[in-house]
Amino acid sequence: MVLMSRERESSELHEKLTQELRRGALVLAALSQLKEPKYGYALINSLAERGLEIEQGTLYPLLRRLESRGLLQSEWNVDGSHPRRYYVISPAGLRLLESLTAEWRRLTTVMDVLLEGTSGGG
Amino acid sequence: MSLIDRYVHEVGRYLPRKNRTDIQAELRSSLIDALQDRVGREPIEADVVELLKEFGPPKAVAASYYPEGQYLIGPALYPLFRLVAGIALTAVLGAQLLALGIAHFIAQEPIASLEALGSLMNSIPSALGMVVIVFAILQWFEVRPESEGEAWDPTGLPEIDQAESVKKGERVFAIAMGIVILVVLVFFPEIIGFVSGPGGQFVSNPVITRYIGWISLSLLAGIGLDIWLLWRGRWETKIRIGKIASNLLGIAVLFLLIEGHNAWLAEHGGSGFLDAVSRLPENIANGWQVLGMEAFRLGLGVALIVMLIETLVMIFRLVRVNLRGGFSPERLPPSQV
Repeated sequence: MVLMSRERESSELHEKLTQELRRGALVLAALSQLKEPKYGYALINSLAERGLEIEQGTLYPLLRRLESRGLLQSEWNVDGSHPRRYYVISPAGLRLLESLTAEWRRLTTVMDVLLEGTSGGG
Repeated sequence: MSLIDRYVHEVGRYLPRKNRTDIQAELRSSLIDALQDRVGREPIEADVVELLKEFGPPKAVAASYYPEGQYLIGPALYPLFRLVAGIALTAVLGAQLLALGIAHFIAQEPIASLEALGSLMNSIPSALGMVVIVFAILQWFEVRPESEGEAWDPTGLPEIDQAESVKKGERVFAIAMGIVILVVLVFFPEIIGFVSGPGGQFVSNPVITRYIGWISLSLLAGIGLDIWLLWRGRWETKIRIGKIASNLLGIAVLFLLIEGHNAWLAEHGGSGFLDAVSRLPENIANGWQVLGMEAFRLGLGVALIVMLIETLVMIFRLVRVNLRGGFSPERLPPSQV
């Protein structure tokens, strides 16, 4: 019983930390794909095609938060089969994307060095 | 009404008022996109159910639209907090006004407006503060009011029926008044009564004092069901059955009270409210008491009629809703999905 409880705790912790790791990356990922206007579902597909799965319930609130901070702009388009809200990166978002990208590259380089050999148990 | 409409409507109930319509429109649009993309044919009910399960329970979806960060009271608890805070504030306000009324009309004290305002300024923040503290503790221990999780079933989404939605203000008022009356009944039963004539002493109503237990039980049942109703936000069959049962108890209690008044009035020569008024000058000694009890009986009679009508309306709606039938996925043609 104790063992099962610890396994569950460990699994919950893993899930929580994975979410935290992904949270910042998702902002960067979304901004990077919105240089051209896209609606939410198209963005989900675009990210999935490149290997990043994101739940709809996560993406839409994220897009709204980015828009409320002035990093995205949006407008409704009624040309298709049904109305869709299109998002595109704003000038402020573009500047942030550039600085975040530089930070991401620096971080991944450092992390690669730090994690080197850890998967092999050395 | 399609399942998607019902889902979007249900999510909207828990969304922040600001941007609610816009978020609902986008949610609908994204659901249609996802459905068109994955099905590639005319969608059937099962496709929508599967999609909605992936999106998650309406409360969880709505909670994700609240800002992120550290919360004293988080999005999951906030709707319940708002409800409880509303009830607490209305009850405090009602109790203060009642106390003011009693002091003025019974104890014949002059109304001190500034004092009353000062008292309100004290009691409202302290009531609100208590509610905030309780909810902050719940938040600290990460208590969630309701966890539907994987067991959530989209086919159980309620129909969008405005007639079945709850008028919140009306319910909050009913709960607050119920609490105030209950507090008075339990803690200050002696103040329910009448003044025995101009300048006379205050007399408690002997019949009401005798049935305090039953009245309190009936009030408690009504308050509990009203809180449940407010929380659910719509009339569901089980709530309506509960309310009908609680009303029947209330009717029985009112009958008891009226019978008690009848017996008291028969003993003291009462023969109707208007008769008591007309006989007042010739029978000053106990005329005011008889008049007071007649007034109570009249009030109880009116309450009984109102409750009977309300109960009949609820029974009629219960029958109507159940004859019309609940949601059946098989009955929905694909085009409606």
